[in-house]
Amino acid sequence: MTATYRGTPIAGTTVFTGARSRQGYRINKFAMSLTDPSKRDAFRADERGYMTSCGLTEAEMDLVAKRDWKGLVAAGGNIYVLIKVGGSVGQNLLQMGAQMRGQSFEEFMQSRPARQGAAIERKN
Amino acid sequence: MARIVGGVGCSHAPSIAHSFDRGLQNDPVWAPLYKGYEPAKAWLDKLKPDLIVAVYNDHMNRFFFDAYPTFALGVSDKHPQADEGWGKRDLPDLPGDAEFSWHLAQSLVEDEFDPTICQEMTVDHGILSILPLLTDNRWPAPLVPFAANVIQHPLPTPKRFFHLGQAIRRAVESYPKDLRVLVVATGGMSHQLHGDRFGFMNPDWDNEFLDLLEHDPQKLVNLRHHDYMERGGAESVEMIMWLAMRAALGEKVRRIHRHYYAPMLTGYGLIVFEGADA
Repeated sequence: MTATYRGTPIAGTTVFTGARSRQGYRINKFAMSLTDPSKRDAFRADERGYMTSCGLTEAEMDLVAKRDWKGLVAAGGNIYVLIKVGGSVGQNLLQMGAQMRGQSFEEFMQSRPARQGAAIERKN
Repeated sequence: MARIVGGVGCSHAPSIAHSFDRGLQNDPVWAPLYKGYEPAKAWLDKLKPDLIVAVYNDHMNRFFFDAYPTFALGVSDKHPQADEGWGKRDLPDLPGDAEFSWHLAQSLVEDEFDPTICQEMTVDHGILSILPLLTDNRWPAPLVPFAANVIQHPLPTPKRFFHLGQAIRRAVESYPKDLRVLVVATGGMSHQLHGDRFGFMNPDWDNEFLDLLEHDPQKLVNLRHHDYMERGGAESVEMIMWLAMRAALGEKVRRIHRHYYAPMLTGYGLIVFEGADA
């Protein structure tokens, strides 16, 4: 039995393996570049132009244009860098998650313990 | 001789940083988290450590997949805040301790841990989301950041983190200066941030983890990454970093405080230990 993950499926989950990282390299590199404020500005001013300069494919650029986070994860995007794209275009993680689940933002929020009065503290 | 005087395990999340910066400490959703930190804060205020060693992970703010270190150690006297993609927060740079850090590097490498040695290390919410909840001081002591890869598989094993903690302890105890050192590990608890399972949390598992961390950490050491991801969500696998903190404290610990709250996307856990070995 090995501790290191070796591809056993987990439902609803895309584990970020080496193969995923390789597949999503362009997307993730573009997303990380948005940690630079001047690049965020350049992206916001001309999304397509900026993504072209990052070498994204047409299909990858379309996913970003559609704010299709689910599609971006399937294309190898890692959520920790995709949130930088979300931040640049005014979407927070909760909104991105609702899209990934195929729910409206409000539907997703209704499922949260805090909304259901079920967020119980545990002290022991 | 330096010695380890305490350990803290706690979740980290951009949402915690956001709530802090927005002043949501008394908001009904957030107040239980902040109240849960009060005893830890009072304890730390009394403890007054001389140095903090923090085991955490970077979220593609300092490192990218072009060259992603499995382990990385910050060795400078100052660790500036990283811009995570939405601007920097109103916090001063973290002070470091270059002299201790280079000793730690030497000791770890002799102990067969080989981190990337970083003379420029920016830090992100892996440390900065949680530190303002643990103290009102900016900042209470120099901090040595030790970043681990818990994002791009293959990841170091849970056992590796346990051994890392033991190696950190040996490094501390071989440092000639009389420093009192706090070890912090951040990350988790249950959460999944992508796919159909986005939003998954598992409070029962998180609390079992806290029980085992205190009383029987070998059970956690013997689990696979797959077990962590299945029980707590894929991104929760970072909980294995807490094993380094636990191991650094020695075999027996005295629990000072424990709190758990899971309102939204992430199980927010907090545990405070002191070493109890004779």
